[in-house]
Amino acid sequence: MQLYPLKLVTVVGETLIMEEIAEEGLKLGATGYSLVDVIGLGSRSARNVSFAGEAKTRKLEFVVSAEIAVAILTFVSHNYFEHYACIAWLSDVSVVRGEQYLGKQ
Amino acid sequence: MLPFPATLIAAGLIPLLADGGQFDRIVESLERNLLTPIPLCFLLGIICTRIHGGIKIPKELYYSIAIFLLMSIGFIGGHELAHEVQAHGVSTIWKPALVTLFLGCLTPITAFAVLRYLGGMSIADSAGIAAHYGSTSAVTYAVANSFVEQTQHPANEFLPTLVTLLECPGIAIALLIGAFLSAKERAAKAAAGTLGRPVKSSKLGEALYEVMTGQSIMLMAGLLVIGFVSTQFMDEKGFQPFYDFFQSKGMLFRGLLCIFLLEMGLVAGERLGDLVKVGPFLIAFGILMPLVHGFLGAWFGHLAGLNLGGCTVLAAIVSSASYIAAPPAVRLTLPEANPTYSITAALAITFPFNIAFGIPIYFEMAKWVGAQ
Repeated sequence: MQLYPLKLVTVVGETLIMEEIAEEGLKLGATGYSLVDVIGLGSRSARNVSFAGEAKTRKLEFVVSAEIAVAILTFVSHNYFEHYACIAWLSDVSVVRGEQYLGKQ
Repeated sequence: MLPFPATLIAAGLIPLLADGGQFDRIVESLERNLLTPIPLCFLLGIICTRIHGGIKIPKELYYSIAIFLLMSIGFIGGHELAHEVQAHGVSTIWKPALVTLFLGCLTPITAFAVLRYLGGMSIADSAGIAAHYGSTSAVTYAVANSFVEQTQHPANEFLPTLVTLLECPGIAIALLIGAFLSAKERAAKAAAGTLGRPVKSSKLGEALYEVMTGQSIMLMAGLLVIGFVSTQFMDEKGFQPFYDFFQSKGMLFRGLLCIFLLEMGLVAGERLGDLVKVGPFLIAFGILMPLVHGFLGAWFGHLAGLNLGGCTVLAAIVSSASYIAAPPAVRLTLPEANPTYSITAALAITFPFNIAFGIPIYFEMAKWVGAQ
């Protein structure tokens, strides 16, 4: 079985901004993403405004190449770190048939 | 700072209290309002959070009741609007509508001015809170409507139309003030060379679009049109089952409102701890600003020809603050604004105040300005 080394970009933050980040991630070259509702607490939790019925926090994940990962992290830190409740990190993953996830180069 | 609240109280309440009978009437009105299921369920919710009780309303149920309430308000509003138009054309409606739009534009400005220039809050915080107070709370409408019906002074039938009219202008104007003044401040800083990072492009248009197409407006305005059109073109027998289901004087609406307010009590109760963080100015603002706005609502409502119930309800909705439609709009356009201030003020101060004391007070104000 062939495993391909890629990067996992994870962003956890207030629901309001997650869809924007997801869309921008696609524009920057990710071929997809997953979004889950989470329960949690952070230093800026009080800034989450909850919609009726929606979770206040969401986790967004992209599996992308290293360059796209850096682009996404740069976008998130420049646009959201200042005012929104948000954290982002990078981890290494080995993906089955990972060549598909290289995205637009 | 102190003279301001003092003069407000004097201006607003002394005329009411000057007459001893008035005071007794207010107390009686308060008793009649507070010792009823709807406010008591709200109180139960608050008590439950304080004693760490175990009431838990499923989110989906709360969400579903909100949908029903908004649809009902819109649908019955449209139905009654059709009747009003059939009977009187637009003659009885255009003045209240105009007055509502005027108040919708005035209240964010007055709120902003008080917060910024009296309270010394930042531009973003002031505009953010003003956006909440410029808009309205549909739940406050439902409770106020319930109150006036219980006192046998039902509001003019077309009032839901006014609720819908009040939703958007306030948020838009407050955000525009915030964006405009923030830009000015940034330009001044840039000229002085103290500006650090480059500015992100404004999301104002996007946020306003989201408010206009958000759940509250789409359901209320949409069902208003549907109720209006159906009333015009459907025969009464066919229409009856829809009316029976949605009617806001009925047991379904009132009962669901109890459950809804129980959940709101739970939410407000959680936020009581934040009262310490927001400080005395905002607490005073959350009580006195609604009284001022409420008085304007009652007075202009009477000038526009609304009846006693109508003036009371208009006062209630003008004084109320939005906490569903406004917060996301503010968060997108004024992210520097601290949501703790706006949501605590709207949900933990103004909403409980209106439910418990405000509505009966607006009722007495409406009587005092001469409404019948």
